[in-house]
Order: sequence, then C-alpha cells, then structure tokens
Amino acid sequence: MNGKPIVRLQNLSKTIGNKKIIKNLNLDLYPGQITGFLGPNGAGKTTTIRMMVGLMQPTSGDVLIDGQSIKTNFEESIQKVGVIVENPELYKYMSGYKNLLHFSRMHKGIPKQRINEVVRQVGMENRIHEKVGSYSLGMRQRLGLAQALLHKPQFLILDEPTNGLDPAGIREFRQYLQKVASENGVAVFVSSHLLSEIELLCDRIAVIQNGELIDIKNVNELHHSQYYIQAEPLELAEEVLAGIGFSLARQDKGLVIDTEEQHIPGAIQMLVSAGVKIYAVQPYRATLEDQFLEMTGGGQIAQTHAK
Amino acid sequence: MLKLMQNEWMKLWSKKASWMMVFLLVLILFASAAITKYVNSTANEGIEESWQDVTAAQLEANQAILMNPNLSDTQKDYYTEQVAIAEYRLANDVQPFEFTSMQQSVLNTHEMLSLVTLFTVIIAAGITASEFSQGTIKMLLTRPVKRWKVLTSKYLTTMVFAVLLSIITLLATALAGLIFFGIGEGTYLEWNGSRVVEGSYWLEAVKFSILSFASVWIIGTFAFMLGTVFRSSSLAIGLSIFLMFTGIQAVFLLSNYEIVKYYLFTHTDLTQFYTGFMLIPDITMAMSLTVLFVYFLLFLGISYWTFSKRDVTA
Repeated sequence: MNGKPIVRLQNLSKTIGNKKIIKNLNLDLYPGQITGFLGPNGAGKTTTIRMMVGLMQPTSGDVLIDGQSIKTNFEESIQKVGVIVENPELYKYMSGYKNLLHFSRMHKGIPKQRINEVVRQVGMENRIHEKVGSYSLGMRQRLGLAQALLHKPQFLILDEPTNGLDPAGIREFRQYLQKVASENGVAVFVSSHLLSEIELLCDRIAVIQNGELIDIKNVNELHHSQYYIQAEPLELAEEVLAGIGFSLARQDKGLVIDTEEQHIPGAIQMLVSAGVKIYAVQPYRATLEDQFLEMTGGGQIAQTHAK
Repeated sequence: MLKLMQNEWMKLWSKKASWMMVFLLVLILFASAAITKYVNSTANEGIEESWQDVTAAQLEANQAILMNPNLSDTQKDYYTEQVAIAEYRLANDVQPFEFTSMQQSVLNTHEMLSLVTLFTVIIAAGITASEFSQGTIKMLLTRPVKRWKVLTSKYLTTMVFAVLLSIITLLATALAGLIFFGIGEGTYLEWNGSRVVEGSYWLEAVKFSILSFASVWIIGTFAFMLGTVFRSSSLAIGLSIFLMFTGIQAVFLLSNYEIVKYYLFTHTDLTQFYTGFMLIPDITMAMSLTVLFVYFLLFLGISYWTFSKRDVTA
C-alpha cells in the first residue's frame, strides 16, 4: 500500500553471547501508516527498536531508511527518523526550550522559529521556559514528542510511548499521532504492551515472539464479520449450521460463526424450524487480546500485564 | 562541532555544581591568601631578617647542592642559574619579591592548580557518564551526528572548562594578593642564557601554569576515559582522585626500577625541570612530553573505541 516502503528491515538479527535475541526479521513500513509492534516481555521489541535507531549494532542484516543503511550511512538515514525510546529522558536541569534548542543544534538547518512552531503544536507555550524537572509526566511526554518532530521526520518510532500516561493523555497522544501520520504522511512504528491502545491507534500490527516475527495483520482484517449465537441444545444447533455450510466454533454456552449480516435471518429460521431454542444472537468481535493470546500461545501474557 | 560544543557548554553551565566549583575555587584562593597573611603576621613577630641575609643563605645552600656529583644536567643548569641570580642581587642590591606580595602570589599560582585538577576530574568523569545515568544518551545518539563527534565535543568542552578554571585561578590569585598583601617591593630576575636580566613575573607565572596544566590535562583525560568506559562518574572520580594523590608516591617505590621511566606519574609534573627538585634525576623534558602524549593517545583511544562500539542498553 501507498507505494514504496520508507523503512525496511532486512534479515535483521542480533546475537548476544550465544543467544539469538532477534532472528531474521523482515518488515516494511509505509508512509502514512501506523504499525503497532506487539510481543510478550523479552520477545525482542526493545532490541529491534534500538537496532532501528542505531543504538545497537545488528549482528547481521540491515535497516534501510529511505534507502539509506543505518549501518553504513548513519547520519543520512537517522536524520529522517524521530525517536522516543521509552519515557522521554530529557535534561531535567534545563528548561524545555533549552532542551529543544539542544536537539535542534544536532540537526542541520532547523531555524529558531521551527522550535516555536513545534512548541505550539504540542500546546506547551505557557511552560516551555520552565525547568523540565518541574514537568508532569504528561508534559514531559509532550516535550518528548516535540523533540521527535523538530526535524520533520518521515518516520517516527516510539517505544512504549504511553507508559504512565493517564487516559486523557493517552487519548490526546493517540489523536496527535494519527494526525501526524495522515496529514504529513509520516510512517509510525509503535511498540506497546497496551493491546487495547494499539488496537485503537494502529492500522497494522506486527507480532514478535522469541525474536521472530510471527504475524503481520491489518487491523480492519482482524475485524471480519462474526456472530455469536447462544442456543440450546448446542449439539443440534451445531449440526444444523454446519449442514448449511457455516464455519463455526464453540464459545462459552454458544457458537461463533463466520458470516455476513444478510445470512443471519435465514440461519435463525433454519434453527427455529429444527427445534433449537435461541436465547441470543449478537455481532461478535474478538478482542486483540484474545488474538494476541492465541498467536503467542498465552502463557506469557500474565507477565506482560505484570510489568 | 562548534554547535555540539555549544550544547555541551550550555549543559555544563545549566548545572549548579559547575557554578559551585568556580565559587569554591575563588573562595579557597581568597581564604588561603587571608590565612597566609594572618599566619605570617603572627609567626614573624619580632623577627627582623633582611632580604640580604635570606638571599645569602640560599646562595650558600645552592652552592652546596652544586657540589653533589649525582646532579642531572637539568638540575646543574638550574642551580647554576640560581647562584648567578643570587650573586647578582647581592652585588647590585636588587631585592627579590617579598613573600607576602601580590607578585610572589602570582608566581606561586601553579601550586594551586591541583584544585583545578580536582574540579576538572569531576567534570570529565561526569560529562559522558551522566548522559548514561540520566538516560539522555538515547536522545543524544539518535541524531544525525556520528558518535565520535559527540565524544570529541565532550572532551574539548572539558578541556576548555579546565583552561577557564586555570585562568580564573591566576586572576583570582592576583586579585587576592592585591587585596591582602598589596604590591610589594622587589624585582623579578631571570637568566637569559648568558647573563642575569630583569624579567616579567606575569610571563613566568603563565609559563609555570602551562607546565602544571599538563597534569590537569592528563589526569582529566584519564577521568574522562573512566567515565566513558564505566559509565559511572563516582567510580571515575574516586579512582582518578585516588591516583592523583597516590600516583606520585608510587614513583618513589618504583624509583629503583627501569619501569619508573615509563610510569605516568614520573612525568605529570613538568615544573620539575624548572625547580631543581626532580623525582627521577635522569629524565628530560622531551622524554616526559613523549610519555605523556603516549598515555594521552592510549586514554583517548580506549574512550573512543568503547564509546563508538557500545550497544546502548541504558
């Protein structure tokens, strides 16, 4: 979609000691698209992200940003990237403005007015000259976003960006990212533990487990049409529905069937005439969490939530 | 590079600790001048000693030292010059500076540079380590600037800071001398290679300060390396200061072995070639500079190598 990918991970691998942390990762990211990066703890999310921004050296493979290798053309490739790695760690003893000034000096050709522009964009005009040490986490998060957007990157990469934000903060942050992606055509890559958050924010989801990419899906693909039917006796209902060609699965006291809206009345008629008692029929949506558990085999999710 | 240094400079002076160091430095210099004045006025009460007596005694002592057959060439030159200057003073009635005078304080400035070493070590150790401990290193290294450039800007900033503190030391000493002692009687004399002439005590003070700066420079570089490699400023500060105090002692322990000539602290005090007191008699200025330079390359080499290769996991 949207033509050429802006970021390409090519057989990206990382070995620490004799342990393979990341195994041959291949992934393309496209302009205007927000991709979520999911995985249980220790799956290699942070390591992957650190390799993408040059904080860690890949053992083999490469990351291309707009065609430039992060390994051999670091300066050219990284200047197109805006980074927030975990909670934005800024210089607490300086004002927000000085922090931005500091980072702007490390890029080529950022005029002073661009700093003011970004400050206005994230709504921090009133407190930008106060020391970062006095900011709340939400304020710091905004400043973190401001520093990542200073140089108008084509690719924004965020590691656990909503850690510690309150619901209002998370929502604001999400809307902001979606705006940047759609209006400026920025490719966004977000890693997070918050599955519901990822579901709301992203267009596409990549799942990593034990250093391997196990699935890439578009979010709207996840929501194909399903219905939940609670009926008795279940065995009979199953028989009838399977007989007319629905694919189905048992769930709690009922069945989940894959079908479109228009087939529902017919199905109900068939069931009633076969003598099945129907208690409920409703659209069914598997949550991302269910799917995530299914893909990663469950077990480790408890750990994920514990963090 | 200038912009990167501007950044480092801004961060340096945004910390209260840096201002505190300058304040402390000036405070200590003024306090030591005040104490000297007080001690001198109480201890010397009732003692009347003319400068002629003192100079004559020194002349005699230096002549005695010159009899020693074990002197190195550098030392022989030094004592010969001192004897010549003292004889000139007595013959032409030219008084040296009083001990408590602004001029003599300025001449002794270099003795106070160990304070500058101390403060430089603290800055050098922290300038890279603090980026790791604050986590800001991630922000710093994901910019379109190669790592070696970032490290260079940090090193140069540390050295500029050290030079600035040295200049402050010289000026504060002069000011404290002026306030507590005033401009005293006397003339500064030096040997120009063939005869005794009048010289500038300011130039001499600057020369000695530059010589002493070698120690600030190399110990600062050492602390910079430790801070970069271990990412812990407390370890780097502790180890550097420990070595700063014990390093010289080790010279005496090693003095019977050949290896002492390649030992860093045999060479850190470059003023030894101009004061007659040498740790190891048979070293030369050229040799010291070479050894210091090799250590400098080694320290910086290790710093750059670890900094540009390291995976940032902080």
